Amino acid sequence: MEYLFTTANVIFFVIAVLISVGLIELYFYLHFKLYDKKYYIIIPVLSLVFFGVVISFLNIYSTKILIYFAIWEMFFSYLCVRYVKGKNYLPYMLIAPAVIGLMMLLLYPFLFEIYLSFTDLKLTTIMQWKETGKLPFVGLKQYINVFKLPPLSETTFWQLFGRTLLWTFSNVFFHVLGGLLLALMLIEIKNLRGVYRMFLIIPWAMPQVVAVLSLRGEFHSEYGFVNIMIKKLIAAFPFLTQLGIGPVNWLSDHPLLTCTLINIWLGIPFMMVVILGGLQSISQSYYDAATIDGASYLQKLKYITLPLLKPVVLPAITLGTIWTFNNINIIYLVTGQAGGTERADILVSALYKAAFVYNRYSYSAAFAMIIFVILFLITTSYSKMIKVDN
Amino acid sequence: MNKKLKPFFLHLFIIIAVIIATYPLIRIFSVSIRPGDRIISTDLSIIPDGASFISYIKLFKETYFLRWIFNSLLITFATSFIGVSLASTAAYAFSRYRFVGKKWGLQLLLLSQMIPAGMLILPLYLMIMKLNLINTYLGMVIAYSVSSLPFSIWILKGYYDTIPHSLEEAAMVDGANELQAFYRIILPLSTPALSITFLFNFTTAWNEYLVARVVLYNPQNYTWTLGLFELQGQFITQWGMFTAGSIIITIPVLLIFLYSSKWLVSGLTLGSVKG
Repeated sequence: MEYLFTTANVIFFVIAVLISVGLIELYFYLHFKLYDKKYYIIIPVLSLVFFGVVISFLNIYSTKILIYFAIWEMFFSYLCVRYVKGKNYLPYMLIAPAVIGLMMLLLYPFLFEIYLSFTDLKLTTIMQWKETGKLPFVGLKQYINVFKLPPLSETTFWQLFGRTLLWTFSNVFFHVLGGLLLALMLIEIKNLRGVYRMFLIIPWAMPQVVAVLSLRGEFHSEYGFVNIMIKKLIAAFPFLTQLGIGPVNWLSDHPLLTCTLINIWLGIPFMMVVILGGLQSISQSYYDAATIDGASYLQKLKYITLPLLKPVVLPAITLGTIWTFNNINIIYLVTGQAGGTERADILVSALYKAAFVYNRYSYSAAFAMIIFVILFLITTSYSKMIKVDN
Repeated sequence: MNKKLKPFFLHLFIIIAVIIATYPLIRIFSVSIRPGDRIISTDLSIIPDGASFISYIKLFKETYFLRWIFNSLLITFATSFIGVSLASTAAYAFSRYRFVGKKWGLQLLLLSQMIPAGMLILPLYLMIMKLNLINTYLGMVIAYSVSSLPFSIWILKGYYDTIPHSLEEAAMVDGANELQAFYRIILPLSTPALSITFLFNFTTAWNEYLVARVVLYNPQNYTWTLGLFELQGQFITQWGMFTAGSIIITIPVLLIFLYSSKWLVSGLTLGSVKG
């Protein structure tokens, strides 16, 4: 088993991180600085040797990677000698480390995911793949399977899709509504606003894992405070039972509702802070003018506040929609334990479970591509809609 | 509405909202100081009878809690450092220079934000597995390091845009070259934006759970998120230790967040409005 443990290893690790960032910068600096010198040929050769040493040191040495790197080296040196002359290379040098990082850890995994979705990688073939690197090509089979076979043990794709829309819409709606109400009330309060604001953003400030896990406990049917409160309320006002209010088995009977309630609690402060910022930037003179004209509170709200809040709220809603759509954390933390229900799963959490609980790697790659297309369509059409509106 | 009643109702509603917002945290605290034999009960009092810190002591004695925090800190600092150092230079290039692919680059950065969060976990996991880095810090850092890079670049670019060009020109008249003008003049001036970016990277990695779940499997190598999830347990929840751990994690995070929230929000909206 490999893990870095001793103090020496930890120090080594920290230094390695620092050095590797420095080395990438140095690599580009040398190339751009020395391309017109006679001994320039040393630089690519040296970096190739160095790269070989590093990957053999990291236990991932393979000739294939080395050949790829050599090709890149040749290409890059050619670029330097041919094109850099007289041009300002500084911007390229400045973005190079970020571009390399993004290409290796964002673009490459993304392309690899596409490739994976046309193959058949599952628990039975993964060891073979690890040793030989070969995968059977199956064409569009995985994409058809996403719609034919349920992504989880019984929930189908379309159920998940509907649930995702419901989840996203209800959460964003209540976030904006709650945030707007609280911000409108806070702006009216002159003293103590800062204190209230500080307490109100606590749900946002708490680490999400802590908040979700402890609230999950509070929805326990017997020892969670939600049901204890309901029982106390019924004891105080017995007529409530006739209205159908009583203790609920939150986690087992209404898992999606529980997740939604938790997420609403978590998400309101962000919207509140954004909207409050927007409200504070609206000039008081508009309201004074409206007051002179005899406008009521609701009229001011409709004709001054809401239109002027639009440029602040619309981007926040876009962000919130993407965040909520993508929120695996809450649903997985609430229902992800062994024996957890799958009746609360939305697309992204089903994707996570399909990959890491059911170990259907290629299937979930195809599933992920479909989710990506859906999210892409939603956000682009939404931002088009905003642009048309403006 | 009556002039005197209005503020009363406003304060009343806000105070109810404050109670809803803070009650769960208070409740975590009150469970964490319950005496050992009464951890599971329907008691609602904030300071329970016979309150004790036994759960905290048990937490440090019976679990690897300090180890988890240490692991988290190490991974988080490494990723934030990498993230900020990569973003600070890249954002400067995007802000100041015209070069081939600038417009495309910025668009691609925005597009990358649309990739579903769970989507890249699988290929990253397979990559890390192939590199034999499962269950190591290095594997975690590799998986985390660029996840908030696009967003950081946008925030920093927005900030650099507000610094006038004349500063660099003045520096260059005094004999500095372009690179020196960047790291002697612009970088020190951007400390507020850099610290926000650092904080943003830090909180993202600090609260991360899903990647850690698949990369780390040895209890000694867990990050605190995994550790707390394990304490909640598959079958028996260790409520006392779980809540004690939650309090220890939450209080510093809360203080830092409350202290910095003003700048954090302006950074977030800056990035999104510009996008």
